[in-house]
Amino acid sequence: MSILVVGLNHKSAPVEVREKIAFNATNIPTALSLFLHRYQTAESVILSTCNRVEMYASTMDGGVKTEDILSFFADFHKIALDEFSPYMYHYTDDRAVDHLFFVTASLDSMVLGESQILSQVKEAYTTASMEEATGKVMNQLFQQALNVAKIVHTRTAIGKKKVSISSVAVEFAEKIFQDFTGKMVLVVGAGEMCELLLKHLYEEGARTIVVANRTFERAQEIANAFQGQAIKYELLGEYLAKADIIISSTSAPHYVIHANQVKDAIRHRRGNPMFLLDIAVPRDIEPEIANIDNVYLYNIDDLQSVVSQNIDERTREVEKCRAIIEEEVEHFMARLEEMKIEPAITLLRNHFHTIGKEELCRLKPKLKSIDNGEWEQVVYTVERTINKLLHHPAKVAKQEAKNGGGYRYVEIIRKLFGIFHHTDQI
Amino acid sequence: MMMGFLTHSGFLIFLGLESGNIPITNVYESFISLIWCILFVYINLDYLYKLPSLDTFLVPVVTALSLWALTFDGGDLFLTVSLQNFWLIAHIIPIFIGYASFTISFSLSIMYLTQQRQLKHKLFGPLFTRLPSLEGIDRLMWKTISFGFPLLTLGLVFGTFWVKTQNILGEQWYLDYKVVLGLATWLIYAALLHMRLVASFHGTKIACLTIAGFCLVLFTFIGTFFMGTKHAFQKVSEQVHTEF
Repeated sequence: MSILVVGLNHKSAPVEVREKIAFNATNIPTALSLFLHRYQTAESVILSTCNRVEMYASTMDGGVKTEDILSFFADFHKIALDEFSPYMYHYTDDRAVDHLFFVTASLDSMVLGESQILSQVKEAYTTASMEEATGKVMNQLFQQALNVAKIVHTRTAIGKKKVSISSVAVEFAEKIFQDFTGKMVLVVGAGEMCELLLKHLYEEGARTIVVANRTFERAQEIANAFQGQAIKYELLGEYLAKADIIISSTSAPHYVIHANQVKDAIRHRRGNPMFLLDIAVPRDIEPEIANIDNVYLYNIDDLQSVVSQNIDERTREVEKCRAIIEEEVEHFMARLEEMKIEPAITLLRNHFHTIGKEELCRLKPKLKSIDNGEWEQVVYTVERTINKLLHHPAKVAKQEAKNGGGYRYVEIIRKLFGIFHHTDQI
Repeated sequence: MMMGFLTHSGFLIFLGLESGNIPITNVYESFISLIWCILFVYINLDYLYKLPSLDTFLVPVVTALSLWALTFDGGDLFLTVSLQNFWLIAHIIPIFIGYASFTISFSLSIMYLTQQRQLKHKLFGPLFTRLPSLEGIDRLMWKTISFGFPLLTLGLVFGTFWVKTQNILGEQWYLDYKVVLGLATWLIYAALLHMRLVASFHGTKIACLTIAGFCLVLFTFIGTFFMGTKHAFQKVSEQVHTEF
């Protein structure tokens, strides 16, 4: 019994290679059933995201090898092996388990700690399980991987701090306003970053959106996307006092929002706070505005510095996560070893019970006067004796198996009692 | 916090049993009762609004008040006959709960200014993450003040009735320091409510005024004791004691 993973990711392969062997939601079930058809004793799961393509497989007899998966990929996608095989990595047993746990806990993601991978792994496992491509080993492995990811995210701060400019900006806004319902968001400029920020704010509940841009049509385009209102650029000053959140990103070579305008605005607002975000280079908002009471101004450098700090914090958490994963891999491998010797122990029990039954069959004709109740007591005593005799060796064998030495014990017992069976594969 | 509150409640009951009256017969007991009211209001507020980190700001205030309380003499449990009536409870209890509410709003103001400073100076440490939004703190400040103000008003109205009907402060009762300061406290919180409710003011100014209001509350509560006014429990007790 072995676990194998073969795949590539954003670190090992460029996007043009990744896209060649990528699977999608439609062809994963087909791929799984074709693989099962080819290797009937195998269990498998395909994980395919924009950053990685991996196949996890396990067989009781160790029948599936790395080369088999590689040739399956080549056959399925109808591409030459050498086009992608140099970029592939492969791990077996504890290293494969460690890799899956590492991936699921989002330690191998492009953005460290992002939680999206957790749902992708869950989806990959569910698909495989629905296609009946998983068995005892893959079920345990993936359920444990999802569990480990949750433990890692709960016990460490790996996913806690925001690591994108737009999410940090929204986090700042959330420290000023309790919610965005009823808050006016004024966007000056119509760049991609503005759109991304608007998207975030819209998702968080902002519904009053006003867009001002030199090109009115572009302002209208963005405003329509968020059910907002486009205004003429010249009317910007009129809307300043009404706006709670102002995002500015124009290509103007000079300031477009001045201190005196904001001073007037805040007077009208009677101390109601204003959040201004200047993501333009060169800056759009006069920096002196930051000194006005109840006005909170941030620029792209402020956001970038928080993002960098947060990334550093996440990176510092990796060691803690790694320690948790190492421990969990050890537990999982111990359970796997236990699973490996289970068939041998069952065989041992069957062997003893068969001997018991044979002896009981031989005894019964000799005890003609025994009634049913007494005979049941005899049968019960024999079975109980066998179970008691086997309990300790089985327990020791399972315990030893956790350290990887169970097989030796089973072998000794089998030699001692002369048990050999062709189905007893370990 | 809950354990502290329960222990404090036990101690308050003990003091009440010792004096045979509600434990406000001297400055020490009054302090202990006020701290109990603060904890009571905080626990209810926390239950209702689940405001994170308020305890970080309130515990130092409560601790400081407790330490201050220890500096006062707790031995004088003598109470004048004239204080043992309905008016005592009607005057004191609403004022104490009102003061407790103002103490919470004071802690919230400190919290507001701390968060504001962090946002202004871009200090994004662990406290920044734990503190709620400025708007959230501002709303809660408003709620605590608007809860405490009617109680303060009620307590002052009952106090005025008491003074008028039983003449315990003499003819010129309105010149008593504590009466004057009590009125000033009422006015400052009335101004605060006006600013919020009528003029719709928010932010730093409100937070600073709330802090000023609390300083006046403290001065009214304890400062008058050192000013030789008759309207200070221990002085009244001592005076009557001497008369006996």
